[in-house]
Amino acid sequence: MAQENDAIGFYFLDLWRLHSKSAASAAAATTSSSASGLSPEDSEFEEEPTELDTVNSSGGFSLVGADKLSVQYPSVNLHGHDVGVVQANKPAPSKRLIYYFEIYVKNAGARGQIAIGFTSPGFKMRRQPGWEANSYGYHGDDGLLYRGHGKGESFGPTYSTGDTVGGGINYAAQEFFFTKNGMIVGNVQKDVKGPLFPTVAVHSQYEEVLVNFGQEQFAFDLKAFEAEERAKQQATIDNVAIPQNASYGIVRSYLQYYGYEETLELFDMSSKSTLPPISLAEENGCTGEGNSYAIDHRKTLRQLIRRGEIDDAFCKLQQWYPHLVQDDKSALCFLLHCQKFIELVRVGRLEDAVAFGRTEFEKFYRLTEVHDLVKDCAALLAYEQPLKSSVGYLLGDSQREIVADAVNAMVLSTNPNIKDSKICLHSCLERLLRQLTTCFLEKRSLNGDQGEAFDLRRILSTYKKA
Amino acid sequence: MSVFWFVLGRPADFESMASSKKVITREEWEKKLNDVKIRKEDMNKLVMNFLVTEGYVDAAEKFRLESGTEPDIDLATITDRMAVKKAVQCGNVEDAIEKVNDLNPEILDTNPQLFFHLQQQRLIELIRNGKVAEALEFAQEELAPRGEENKSFLEELERTVALLAFDDVKNCPVGDLLDISQRLKTASEVNAAILTSQSHEKDPKLPSLLKMLVWAQNSLDEKAAYPRINDVSTATLEDPAI
Repeated sequence: MAQENDAIGFYFLDLWRLHSKSAASAAAATTSSSASGLSPEDSEFEEEPTELDTVNSSGGFSLVGADKLSVQYPSVNLHGHDVGVVQANKPAPSKRLIYYFEIYVKNAGARGQIAIGFTSPGFKMRRQPGWEANSYGYHGDDGLLYRGHGKGESFGPTYSTGDTVGGGINYAAQEFFFTKNGMIVGNVQKDVKGPLFPTVAVHSQYEEVLVNFGQEQFAFDLKAFEAEERAKQQATIDNVAIPQNASYGIVRSYLQYYGYEETLELFDMSSKSTLPPISLAEENGCTGEGNSYAIDHRKTLRQLIRRGEIDDAFCKLQQWYPHLVQDDKSALCFLLHCQKFIELVRVGRLEDAVAFGRTEFEKFYRLTEVHDLVKDCAALLAYEQPLKSSVGYLLGDSQREIVADAVNAMVLSTNPNIKDSKICLHSCLERLLRQLTTCFLEKRSLNGDQGEAFDLRRILSTYKKA
Repeated sequence: MSVFWFVLGRPADFESMASSKKVITREEWEKKLNDVKIRKEDMNKLVMNFLVTEGYVDAAEKFRLESGTEPDIDLATITDRMAVKKAVQCGNVEDAIEKVNDLNPEILDTNPQLFFHLQQQRLIELIRNGKVAEALEFAQEELAPRGEENKSFLEELERTVALLAFDDVKNCPVGDLLDISQRLKTASEVNAAILTSQSHEKDPKLPSLLKMLVWAQNSLDEKAAYPRINDVSTATLEDPAI
């Protein structure tokens, strides 16, 4: 039992760690200039093409500008193997809904044999994109689409000097699409897996093309296109049938699980008066796992911790669940003691904090697994304005929340009807969201890492209708 | 040919199934689940969004205090919206129209269909209460002119007026109009229009996430056997069927 309980405690210590890390990376993000806002350690992070590759080039048949964002055809072309092809420095990132880049035709040169497309890593650098296997190209001189051989298929208009042309990969639909001057020209099925490089080609004298990997605004409204694609997917999802009142039950069990008892009471009261009245199926659903167990105690403990009254919360725990706080070196006690220390710092009782820390942290410093957390707490003393420091997150509401949630889970685990205490770690809602996230990640990994992950934050941030 | 297929087909099918579908054990799956971190504040936001959109104003206010989650809309506007909804649900359509106009006159001005449906509901309530003369007058003066503007309105009007032609309205072909579900339909249409006018989504996010879960599981089924959640209300993992 003691071990099981500590598993719960350590789970919340890990949450704290995560919190500490994200606070640190948020501080770092304000100084870095990554466009996606992701750090390289993030699993969703991917390197993006930023410039043209000048190492793997087509010899003398392409002349890449000093900014590595423009390409010229320097000579008089002789035959079909004299194409000036340039790939981007990185393949198109795939862990997203859509990848897109654009070119601007500065000069269509003698014959306007310009192409935009995508090619695989081993592409022959003297051939137009589309002429070889695993390559796709939209050609300016004939407006044809080439995929895999030298014969093109009718596709769109031709393009020439002054035109902006774009190439994109729609990972959800598994399609390439091309644009001209901000308008979609057409799309074509993508039947190749593996990395693909954004590619441009020039093939007659004086041709000159500028490439935009997103460093400047696109002529094409990519955001609107993405929204449209997501709406298409959403329309399919909207057709799925789910049991009536399923959401209602999940919200109710969430309130029960976390001990938001007063909200629950009002929620139940008003749902009785709705039309049609919602039937309260107590016996099935998440409620069956004893979510209302000790809800009064859990509510009181949460309120005390949220107000920062840690001593009172500790007393109540000693009174109601003495065995939970028996082991003074347990993860739960550690959390509570740290919070007490944090509360002392918050109200400026620094001397008391030091005295408390000396006795308490001394005890825990022997537990090597919490060194990092003790250090974070102790660091609060080092700053004149701890709130603005790198450990300022400790003074936030969410730190109290972690402690309150840990206490809540521990109390839930004392329910004699619970067979597996792991069930106490998550609300029904959290289990559903974890399953949803995992399904998306697994689906993507079985699809060659193509497509976007489930992003709850993005969904939550679309509060306002478009 | 078909017999041949029957004999040889099954084991071959079985083999191809086994080789193409990845099997993920419960242990492996739980490890993946544990790598997923869902933020508490995000779950709180989801719950708040549900309470607000569904109109649980008292619960939303309390949840704000208990969880420290800020609602994404002024809670006072929920009370007004719910009053309109309730009025329609109780059959007080005139009252509801007045309340919508107090809230924002543009809502009905810019939604002719909604306005028509409210007037239609008013007609239904008159018929329900046996006020035949009043119902006829209202249909001719208020609804017919709108029917001339729009063909689908006219059809709806004719269907509604047909209620007057039957003695036993409960069992007549258009009896569904008198059903409580018709009131609920109209009420939820008004509710959605008010939410839209407040630049808020008309549906809560949670049901659509549940749908997304069912959809994601179904499409993953094509490529893998893994522990599923078949009952969203219990959220228990069920072992893969292999």
